Amino acid sequence: MSAPIPKTLSTTTEPPLIRSALLGVALIFLSLFLFLPLVAVFYEALRKGIGVYLAAISDPYALSAIQLTLLSVAFAVPLNMVFGIAAAWAIAKFEFWGKSVLITLIDLPFAVSPVIAGLIYVLLFGAQGWLGPWLAEQNIKIIFAVPGIVLATVFVTVPFIARELIPLMQAQGTEEEEAALVLGASGWITFWRITLPNIKWGLMYGVVLCTARAMGEFGAVSVVSGHIRGLTNTLPLHIEILYNEYQFAAAFACASLLTLLALVILAIKTLIEHYTSTQRQPSSAGETA
Amino acid sequence: MSIDIQGLHKRFGNFVALENINLEIPAGQLVALLGPSGCGKTTLLRIIAGLETADEGNILFDGEQASQHARDRRVGFVFQHYALFQHMTVFENIAFGLRVRPRSRRPSETQIRAKVHELLGLIQLEWLAPRYPSQLSGGQRQRIALARALAVEPHVLLLDEPFGALDTKVRKELRRWLRRLHDELHVTSVFVTHDQEEALEVSDQIVVMNHGRIEQIGTPEEVYDAPATPFVYQFLGNINLFHGRAHSGWVRLGGLRLQAPEYQDAQHVPAMAYVRPHDIDLLREPEDGDTTIPARITRISILGSLVRLELLQTEDGEITEVEMTRERFAADQLKTGDLVFVKPRHLRVFLQEEENQTTPLPHWQGHGDGI
Repeated sequence: MSAPIPKTLSTTTEPPLIRSALLGVALIFLSLFLFLPLVAVFYEALRKGIGVYLAAISDPYALSAIQLTLLSVAFAVPLNMVFGIAAAWAIAKFEFWGKSVLITLIDLPFAVSPVIAGLIYVLLFGAQGWLGPWLAEQNIKIIFAVPGIVLATVFVTVPFIARELIPLMQAQGTEEEEAALVLGASGWITFWRITLPNIKWGLMYGVVLCTARAMGEFGAVSVVSGHIRGLTNTLPLHIEILYNEYQFAAAFACASLLTLLALVILAIKTLIEHYTSTQRQPSSAGETA
Repeated sequence: MSIDIQGLHKRFGNFVALENINLEIPAGQLVALLGPSGCGKTTLLRIIAGLETADEGNILFDGEQASQHARDRRVGFVFQHYALFQHMTVFENIAFGLRVRPRSRRPSETQIRAKVHELLGLIQLEWLAPRYPSQLSGGQRQRIALARALAVEPHVLLLDEPFGALDTKVRKELRRWLRRLHDELHVTSVFVTHDQEEALEVSDQIVVMNHGRIEQIGTPEEVYDAPATPFVYQFLGNINLFHGRAHSGWVRLGGLRLQAPEYQDAQHVPAMAYVRPHDIDLLREPEDGDTTIPARITRISILGSLVRLELLQTEDGEITEVEMTRERFAADQLKTGDLVFVKPRHLRVFLQEEENQTTPLPHWQGHGDGI
């Protein structure tokens, strides 16, 4: 008589006890540090009733903060898209002197504290800064004004798209582009019809991450903003001001807006991930002639 | 369209990829660039295509300087790993070259459709038109890649190890198919390969390359039967190598002594002799006049229609490889351990000075275990 074959292969699976223990630890951690705060945000926001909530988010200062946040996203994301694609294209498809320097520079915003990044802008463009006097002569205001906020946001979000695209484009190589070239396509057509479609999901993923970061950026923007209500306050800065003024319900109401946006972005990201993973294994069923 | 390559040089940093390449490819021929990896054959192909630029030299198409840019050269290029456009259907892949033409020269949608279907018919894969490349087998992908290259009606077809990524059976099928296709279309074609069997079977002319230089140009028979250099001898087919000395028109190789009138002036020059495993007779008795070497059979392997015997020379312990037909093997009744006398029918002698120019790869030295 042969022994019954065990249902699970013990060499590749842990015993049930260890599995549930590991799962439990992960779940407890997630609910303590992620889910609970999420619930708390909405709970605090709505604690004083829906009226207070609506008033808080329709406050003119709040609206202008939302506007400014969206404005800096509107600048940061397209700029970084162009820069990210250009940098990734150059790094992945060409060999040139100083390539590793460029890669390091792209990573710089990840390595440098955002507050330092903001300070650098103040030192450069501020009234006492290197270019301050010249800018004042030309009547251009960067620090404590909208351009500074946009600049700071662009700076901290530089790596997101480029970093997403570089490994993708490196893995894809240059053969498809060469094939298009030999078939008579111009560089421009090759980019639009071959390169871009090949990186589109990676690009979208990068855009989503970049948007999320641009909306939530606090440190760098805080340094260059000057916190002028209705003028240079982004949503995260507005929340901080409200919180410091003990307007907890209003602060949490605005925070809940950011949280909602983050959840939407998370959903888009998941969708993209789902789509790219199904696209890689297309089913050939139903197409066999 | 004929291709004329004149004095081509190419370096990558300190590495010399091509050195003074001169090559004429007559119109309508199928030519193989054959050599080990790193010999410069792919670089040469890419320079012909315009995907790479030479440091020096000219490429002429039909006697005229080829255009500077790859997209104006009207060449078809087939990549080893297909390079099909992943996000396009098979139909759109083949149509791409027609669709990207400037508006004035672009065919109408109906013309494009007709052309693509004609090409799909040619490669016998019409039913694959709506599929994506990821849904196809390797052999199908490479045929689609070929159809895509042919869609623009190229003057020259260039194939970079076209069957390198396929398994043996599909590879054999496809190379026969490529030969038939070439006989139908008569497009001047150049293909790169490191597989000597492929080159011998498919091509009209073989260009054997090594270390960025051309070693020999000739028909398959010429390069196989009359290799110009030791390298060609070793690279095409199996060989046995004998070391010895040449002196006053005679060459002595171990126990062998043979006439070599071409080396009349040589005075005790180290020499090496090559003999193919199927150019050796095995005798039961020694012959007079130092024409045989005694050896013992150490291994017998039956390879389909051929029998390969491994022998150990009793005098110096060198290994000799012999191939014979099964009929011959059965008639001679050879067994492992038998003492026999090796008699080379065709020996090709090269003096050592020549050999220094083209150092054989180390694993080919000492015994006849080529590729």
